Order: sequence, then structure tokens, then C-alpha cells
Amino acid sequence: MRLYEYEGKEIFKKFGIPIPQGILVKTGEEARQAAIELGKEVVVKSQILTGGRGKGGGIKFARTPDGAEKIAQGILGMELEGYKVNSLLIEEKLNITNELYMGITVDGENGTPVAMVSAEGGVEIEEVAKRNPEKIASELINPLYGIRTYEAINLVRQIGLTERTLTSVSRVLCQLYQVFALNDARVAEINPLIITNEGNMVAADSRCEIDDNSLFKHPEYKDLRIQRIENRWEREGAEGGVNYVDLEGNIAVMANGAGLTMSLLDTIKANGGSPACFLDTGGGLSRERMKNGVGLLLRKARADQRIKVVLLMVRMMISPPDAVTEGIMEAIEEVQVKTPVVAVIRGRTPYQKRARELLENSAVILCPGIEEGIREAMKIAKG
Amino acid sequence: MPIFVDKGTNVLIQGITGKFGALQTKLMLDCGTKIVAGVTPGKGGQTQFDVPVYDSVQQAVNKHRVDASVIYVPAPFVQDAAFEAMDAEIKFTVIITDWVPLHSEMKIKAYAKGRDARYIGPNTPGIMVPAQTSLGMISPSAVMPGGVAVVSRSGTLTDEVASHLSEQGIGQSVVIGLGGDPIVGSRIIDILKLLKEDGQTKGVVIVGEIGGTMEEEAAQYIEGQFNKPVVAFVAGRTAPRGKVMGHAGAIIMGERGTAESKINAFESAGVSVAKTLWEIPSLLKKVV
Repeated sequence: MRLYEYEGKEIFKKFGIPIPQGILVKTGEEARQAAIELGKEVVVKSQILTGGRGKGGGIKFARTPDGAEKIAQGILGMELEGYKVNSLLIEEKLNITNELYMGITVDGENGTPVAMVSAEGGVEIEEVAKRNPEKIASELINPLYGIRTYEAINLVRQIGLTERTLTSVSRVLCQLYQVFALNDARVAEINPLIITNEGNMVAADSRCEIDDNSLFKHPEYKDLRIQRIENRWEREGAEGGVNYVDLEGNIAVMANGAGLTMSLLDTIKANGGSPACFLDTGGGLSRERMKNGVGLLLRKARADQRIKVVLLMVRMMISPPDAVTEGIMEAIEEVQVKTPVVAVIRGRTPYQKRARELLENSAVILCPGIEEGIREAMKIAKG
Repeated sequence: MPIFVDKGTNVLIQGITGKFGALQTKLMLDCGTKIVAGVTPGKGGQTQFDVPVYDSVQQAVNKHRVDASVIYVPAPFVQDAAFEAMDAEIKFTVIITDWVPLHSEMKIKAYAKGRDARYIGPNTPGIMVPAQTSLGMISPSAVMPGGVAVVSRSGTLTDEVASHLSEQGIGQSVVIGLGGDPIVGSRIIDILKLLKEDGQTKGVVIVGEIGGTMEEEAAQYIEGQFNKPVVAFVAGRTAPRGKVMGHAGAIIMGERGTAESKINAFESAGVSVAKTLWEIPSLLKKVV
């Protein structure tokens, strides 16, 4: 899950990385008060969970508290990159001498953390990576030991820093690695890391993403993850332990396993059909998860007239057949909607046999294979 | 032995008394898997389906020859379980558990490096050598013995693809799921290097999906150094960009990692790419 800038900065502070003085606000009046409290020129920064805020007008400077209030009123409630702005960070304006980039993330190919620094901070680092890859110095880090001081020094030297700046930037890099490691981050990034006129380091922005599989270690974020999902159906999916993605078509699709669900969508599209969603329950099924998944699709179908049919594909490797079919039937009974349900159930012979028997005299339309299931669903969708 | 395991492989189950581990142990025993021991701390001295249970892996390997371990412990304990297997010098481990923390996955990978230890997973359905042994949950009814290796990044889709092959009379030398997570123990290229030397394997089916760069890496290897016919399938051709479809691994990143990039890489390496699941058997029949 991605954190807001102010949340990332709170973590930075805990780990000793200097951040600007700042106050989180939700109204124009609060922005004004914040500017008075800070007692200097400020920057008003929209708090949304995506990049590109500056370009979209979500970051502005104010000389006076009046100015801060006016700007805040203009930005609050605005929609930026598909996100509504509900809060702002009012921060002291910094005197900038130099802007660096610093980030720790995961290198999928090598399966290790990778630390990166660049003297070209303050811009889209992806652009630098494309245009001048030589301007980014990077180093793979052994996750068992973490970054060592000499690794940080060697890395920061590569972007041309010397003397006191070299050691202070290296220290921030080591601190950022701690942020990454101890918060189970997928990404911990400072862009830009500012060197002020006085020669101090300040993290002017933060980007932190916590690994969802590690949220059990971070209870403070666990519930927030689900609350912050904007699409109500996707949120309902997350609450029910299934992965739902809203699409635009007329066939609501669900399967157990991401690869299987994606290939169902691909096949429907290749045959000229149009999936209304992607719903992956995960490979191993319980009665509850099955019920949550089917229930979600049926409720969505009731609310969205475009959806003509629900298509389920269950591959039974280890999922108990009685639980799976009970989950389907309970959802159908509970939601009470006329949308037909087409199901393809395959897998371990005894499981497949039992599940098909249990559904035989139900309202569910059983098809022997994926090809037949898709054909049937598309026929119904066409009306 | 095609790769990693065969009917002579002695298997240890870590987490054998858990709800999930116990059920799976029963299903594997039904497949003929030689399960010689299990581990659950605190349950040493008990038995599970007549398999002796120990408190630690070291205790189990002191008593039995163990060639491979299958890990079913809950996600928070997977890192230690994997370290324990490797410390006991078990050469091959299958990590079935899903929702394993990303940082644990990195640490396990680093731990295995430099040791004589290979592993597949996390988040894998396991490995099956038809009519010989199964370490994991691949359905015995989906497979039949033969000469095609199935190498997949998915779980249930692996099973489905094997079924499609078997229904068309195409048997498999091995069916292996690598795991759907971004960091897994063995990448497609690692498996291809082993299959290259395997006399039983006459052709390979690669089941890839969007996200990561494993398919591109494999395609490059196939073009230069692989000597057997390959058919590939890539799930997620029509996935909208930037949306996360299930697996943490299935995230489209930049230009690489898209279905298009993978399909192009395969096609320029001379690999036939199936557009649908049922195209896989017919393409295979053409090339093998």
C-alpha cells in the first residue's frame, strides 16, 4: 500500500532523516493558521496517492497566510490524476542549492534490494533513467546484511559528491535503507533530497509503499489499506479477501487464481466478448471466500444494468467441493437477482465430480470446459 | 530424474500437522510421494498418517535421508522454515505458502545463494512428475506421463494447461509451478537449463504472465542456447495497464513486463505463442 507524503515523512523523522517543518490541514482556515505558525513563506502540497502533483497544479507557493488560505481553498476538493484532494501539507519553503534523488526499491530480476542515487533530483526519475541512465548510480544490496556504510559512500561518490556533502548524503542513504527494511517497504524514495544554502540535508518529498503481504507486522496501516480503496466494489472485494478490478463490459468474470482469471478475460476478449470485471479469489477456496466473490458479482450485477451474465471458473486442486458449492448457492440465495450464473468446474476427478453433482439441480448453468463456458456466457450476454 | 525429483525422492513436510499441511500430505501420499518425515515444533514424537513428526528439520534429517522438503507453514514463519531446510543441507525445497512478505522472499533468495540449495516458490502449486511423485497440489487427474515439460508462473492455470495437454493425449515429463510472486527461487531460465540436459523432455510449454521480466530473459536464452521446441502462453494480454491483477508479480512495469513485450520476445526467439489455452496442444503437435 502506498502512503501519503506526510505519512512517509513521519517515518523519515522517526529514522532520523531531516524533513521540513510542516502541518497537515483540511481547510483553508487551517492552512492560514499553519502558515502563521510556521512564520515564513510556505509551500501548499496536495496529499494524494499518486505522482505528478506539481504538473497538475497540486503544489503551489504562498508568501503570506492569506495567500496560503486562498491557494488551499483552490486546491482542496480538486481532482488530480483521478484522486480527490482532501488534505494538504503546509510546509516551510526551503532555500535550495542542490536537488538529489535517492531511492531504495526491489530489483525483481536479482531478487534483492537496490539503492539508487542521482544528482538529477526533483524531476521524474523515470525520465532520467530513460534519457541519461548513466546519471543514476545504483548498487544491489544484500538483504541479509543491509547496506553498509562503505557501500553508501562508494555509491554517493559516483554522482560526484565530496567532503561533508558526501558523508551526510551517505548517512541519509543508510537511514533510508532502515526505513525500507524495517517498514517492509517495496519502495522508499526521497525526491528531491535537498541541500540547502546552509549545507543541510532535507527530504522535501517522500514516497513509501509498504508490502501488502507484510501488513500483519504493521497494524497501524492494516485497516487503512482497505479504507483507502476508492472504488466501492474493489473495496468490498478487499474486505471479502478477493481481488476485484472493475472493467466496463457485460460479462462478470471470476476464477480462482490470477493467471487463470487473466486468461479467461483474454479469451473472452479474443472472441469479441467484453468482461465487466476481473475477480480472483486466490487458488485455494473456502466457503466464505467463494460466497464473498459470487455475492460481490451478483450485487454488482444488480446495481449495474450492463452486466448480463456471471461466469465462474473454478479449478479444484485442493478446495473442498462441498464448501465451494455451498458458497456459490448461499450467495445466489442471499442476493436474489435474476442474472444467470454460468460455471465451469474442473480439477481433481473426485472433487470435480462431487461439485458438479451438487450443482446439477440448481440454477447454475454448468459447462464442461472453458471454451463451452465462454461460449455460453457470450450467448447470454448478446441476449 | 527429469528435474529436481522422481519416484525415489524422500520428502519432508514442514508444517505437517497444520490444517492445510495435513490435508496436502494425505493427497501427496495418495499420489505415491515418498514422505519420510514431517516437522512441527512441539509435536515431535507424534505421527501424521503414519509419518513420524519431529520438532526440527535437523532431527528429521538425523533419522532419515531427506532429498527434498515441502513448506506449508503460515506466511510469517516461512522465512525461518526455508532457512532451516537449507541449514539442514536439504538440496531442494518447495515453498507452497502464499502471501509471504516480500522482504522474506529476498532474504530466502540471498540465503540460498552460494549454497548447494535450490527452491521453487513461494506461492507455487509445486512440482509433479506424472506417475512418479508430487510435491505440492497439482492434480494427479490433470497429468499423464510423457515428454512435454510444463513450466508455469501460475497456480490453477498450471493445472488447467496440464489437463488440456492430457486430454489431447500429450503426456508430461514434469509439471512445475514457479510461483506467482515477484521474487521466486527458480526462474524460467533456471528450469530451461535443467530441461536442456533431460533426456525425457522432448518439448516445453511455458505458461507466463504479465509482470516481471522472466519471459523476456527466457526468450533470449531459448534463441541462443536452447535446443528443444517451445510453445508459450502469456496470460494478461488484455489486462489494463497499471492495474494489479492478483499476483504481486502481475504488475505491468514500464515497457518491459507487458504481454506485448513478452510475446514479441518469444516470437523473435522462434517460440510459437498460443493465443488461447486450447491452442497450446495443437501448436505443440506441430513442433514436437
